Amino acid sequence: MVTTYPIMMSTVAPKKAESGVATPPAAAPEVSEMASETSSPVSNAIITVKDMDFCYGAKQAMFNVNLNIATKKVTAFIGPSGCGKSTLLRCFNRINDRIPGAHISKGEVRIKGKNINEEDVDLAQLRRQVGMVFQRSNPFPKSIYENVAYGLRVHGESRKSVLDTAVERCLTHAALWSELKDRLNANAMGLSGGQQQRLCIARAIATEPDILLMDEPCSALDPIATSKIEELIFQLSNDYTVVIVTHSMQQARRVADDTAFFYLGKLIEFAPTMEIFSNPRQKQTEAYVRGQFS
Amino acid sequence: MEPEKKADAPFNAKDLIKPKRFLGLHVDKQNIIKWFFGSNAGVTIVVLFLIMFFLAREGVGFLPTYQWELSVYRLAGLEFCDYVEKPISEQVAMHSKLKRALGAELNTVSKVDRDRRDAALLAKSRIEDKVTLQTEPLQEALKAKAPPEKTDPLRVALTQATTAAVSTATLPAIFTAEEQIQLKAELSALQPDQAELPPFLKSLMAKSAQKTSEAKLKYAALISTVDAFDDTAEKLTKVHSEIKKIALETKEAANQLHMAEDAKKQLLEAATTAKTEAEKQAFLKDAAATSLAAIDFKVRTQPLRDKLPELEKLIPEYITAIKKAAEGIPENAETPEARKLISQVRTQLPKHLSHVEQCTQLMRDWDYAKPVPITQSLTSFLFGGDWITNSSWQDFYGVVPLLTGSCLIALVAMLISMPFSVAAAIYTNQFASLREQDFIKPTIEFIQAIPSVVLGFIGISVLGDLIKSISLLPFLSWVPGFPVQERLNMFNAGLLLAFMAIPTMFSLAEDAINNVPRAFSEASEALGATKLQTVFKVIVPASVSGILAAMLLGLGRIIGETMVVLLVAGNRIAIPDFSDGIGTVFQPAHTLTGIIAQELGEVSRGSSHWQALFMVGILLFCISLIINFFARQVVKRFKFHKS
Ligand SMILES: Nc1ncnc2c1ncn2[C@@H]1O[C@H](COP(=O)(O)OP(=O)(O)OP(=O)(O)O)[C@@H](O)[C@H]1O
Ligand SMILES: [Mg+2]
Repeated sequence: MVTTYPIMMSTVAPKKAESGVATPPAAAPEVSEMASETSSPVSNAIITVKDMDFCYGAKQAMFNVNLNIATKKVTAFIGPSGCGKSTLLRCFNRINDRIPGAHISKGEVRIKGKNINEEDVDLAQLRRQVGMVFQRSNPFPKSIYENVAYGLRVHGESRKSVLDTAVERCLTHAALWSELKDRLNANAMGLSGGQQQRLCIARAIATEPDILLMDEPCSALDPIATSKIEELIFQLSNDYTVVIVTHSMQQARRVADDTAFFYLGKLIEFAPTMEIFSNPRQKQTEAYVRGQFS
Repeated sequence: MEPEKKADAPFNAKDLIKPKRFLGLHVDKQNIIKWFFGSNAGVTIVVLFLIMFFLAREGVGFLPTYQWELSVYRLAGLEFCDYVEKPISEQVAMHSKLKRALGAELNTVSKVDRDRRDAALLAKSRIEDKVTLQTEPLQEALKAKAPPEKTDPLRVALTQATTAAVSTATLPAIFTAEEQIQLKAELSALQPDQAELPPFLKSLMAKSAQKTSEAKLKYAALISTVDAFDDTAEKLTKVHSEIKKIALETKEAANQLHMAEDAKKQLLEAATTAKTEAEKQAFLKDAAATSLAAIDFKVRTQPLRDKLPELEKLIPEYITAIKKAAEGIPENAETPEARKLISQVRTQLPKHLSHVEQCTQLMRDWDYAKPVPITQSLTSFLFGGDWITNSSWQDFYGVVPLLTGSCLIALVAMLISMPFSVAAAIYTNQFASLREQDFIKPTIEFIQAIPSVVLGFIGISVLGDLIKSISLLPFLSWVPGFPVQERLNMFNAGLLLAFMAIPTMFSLAEDAINNVPRAFSEASEALGATKLQTVFKVIVPASVSGILAAMLLGLGRIIGETMVVLLVAGNRIAIPDFSDGIGTVFQPAHTLTGIIAQELGEVSRGSSHWQALFMVGILLFCISLIINFFARQVVKRFKFHKS
């Protein structure tokens, strides 16, 4: 049985506290049960996944996923390896199109109410609005400046002043400006792993996306770099909708407002983070978050 | 239970010691395998060094030999003669250009009628050839003054044969239909004892003669100019050939002496190693008998110096004469060919005059005893503009003509192959579907399987004619160098070399592009870049080192290729005439590789020519080395740290 957490509830949830501690939406359990199997689109759901099946060629990877992701919140995807977290995340900016044979075989993904797999969707604009940070940092072998400016350049921006301010803004946002402002022309490949990953985040937010997708952004980083990035995510959630895939329960707990648990290509449970960890509704979720998963 | 059991077992260090024996030997198996692989690498490197050593050994002997030849060139006075030789040959070249220009001009008036006359006469002689069987008896009969009743049947037979021959003959279209009929009638009626040609043929002859004289009249000024031009150098040439003879004799004597010295040295060596005393004495006697009378170059070059006053007098005369003759060269000409030739002569003339003026001073300063600088042989090899071998005068081994040929051909080949191979690599790696990739890659790599001699054959039989006929298309006449004079030229060779280099360059460039981490293109696309933007802003810059290295290795292949250039480049040993601009590439040339392949088989082993060819080999080796070095530098320089 697939249970989804109704986004509707988040409308009544208190806005994130200024203190920096993510407060999950106050979800009334009884409402949640009433919401039945599917989540109905709500006014502030920026991403809506409806009855989605996903296939890699002939092999089905996702089964009947229904999900509403609230705007300007941090949503975490958790679940054992191979359960389809990345697959789903990569549907949101259609980067799966790169993989021959990968396709949505049923259902739809809507962003801001528009089905992004329709013919008339401008892929460049979609990806401009849905930024992505990958598991392994992948800066271009160019200068730091050019890395950040790249997104704007490919969208036709070439005015130096605009690029300069954007680079400064994004690097500041990614907490890199003070470290790197003197070596903007240095090759990005010379940065440390943590710096590279933050640079990738700066690069992703340069186009001012509405949504930021992050696929295990901290998996290759040490605890200090990780905490820096978590801080950054927390900062970003003021302006962006962040969807983050993570293997770390603690991380999900620390940064996410809402958490979705996947298992074997199915969405098992989607609820405010507190609820998932303290009061999971499903047996599998409970086993997973307690670390008793086999 | 298991761990406990282990703890019980007594310690045994024996199994920590590696077995010492392998195949009964006290050696480690790992080491043997290591040695095996190591020795393979070692042998390869040793062979490489051996090759370098032998190449150097054969080539290095060249420098002293050539040095000696160059010093004899000075001592014997050949150098002195060449000071005059140079302006004279320039004058000859200009004169022949003027003659060609004159011919082109005369043709405008006389060519049509001359062609008509020649065609008619050709037809006549063809027919006469066919009927010799019938002509001969008639001629004999006429000679014997036979009566008409005897000769008449012979005449009838001849006329019959001629008519038959005429009826099968075809006349060119420069005659109108009526003229053809008339001409055929006249040809059929020809008799061997005819006093005069029939009227039409006669008129053709007369017309042509008239037109020729008309042409001569029209261009009388030009004709007299050309003749005057020819006469200018007459006296100089005479003196020059006199002194040349003397110098050659001296050189021959020097060569004889050198050979005698060698022979003596060998005899003495043989004497020291001789087995018996008698043999030794015989060798020594022979050695003593070889006369080594030194050559007194001073005396021998004296006649040359004696000619100096005469030459000093002749040269100003020549200058005034040629200046005067040059005044008659018309400003303009009617035919484009003549115009081109005349303008060439005009531009050459001032240079020529300055050469002539310099030549007096050079001759005055010349001193047979001035030592030839020790580096002369190397500099005149590397920077000498003449590659002259088997000459009765003096051999020169200057690689500049060969080097420029090689470089120009390589340039053409690179300019063609680079865009093709890079574009093909980008397309194949980034845009092609899997099925296209499976088709494109093996197909391009298959080019490598074509033997280069086959490509050379195609260059000769197909490409040369193709280039030539394309260059004749009127709407392409704006292309520099068109119309092409020679079928076999540098462009043709460059085109084929480009084709040969494309597989190497394509494969390596494709590998380089393929090695760009997928993460780069993924990141780029996730930022909204289109495929094209991704390719040109991320993938190509990231693989630029590999692509450049691929290009350089392709260049190495192009420089080293022999068969195609030997067959197709035209093999003219001369520095190309760069006044054609880009059109220079349509001239024939010879190459460093081609000269070795062509001449090594014909020279006698150990001669200076043989050694010179080895020096060319060393030069090629160095060029390849430099290219490889740069390829490595490029890879190092642009390499990004792979994360
Ligand atoms: N390119 C692909 N081609 C075919 N199958 C794929 C491909 N990528 C992923 N899959 C399959 O789809 C399923 C989901 O993969 P996905 O990468 O989404 O898992 P994940 O939850 O991100 O795992 P992890 O936590 O290990 O990253 C897996 O069974 C995987 O084998
Ligand atoms: Mg994943």
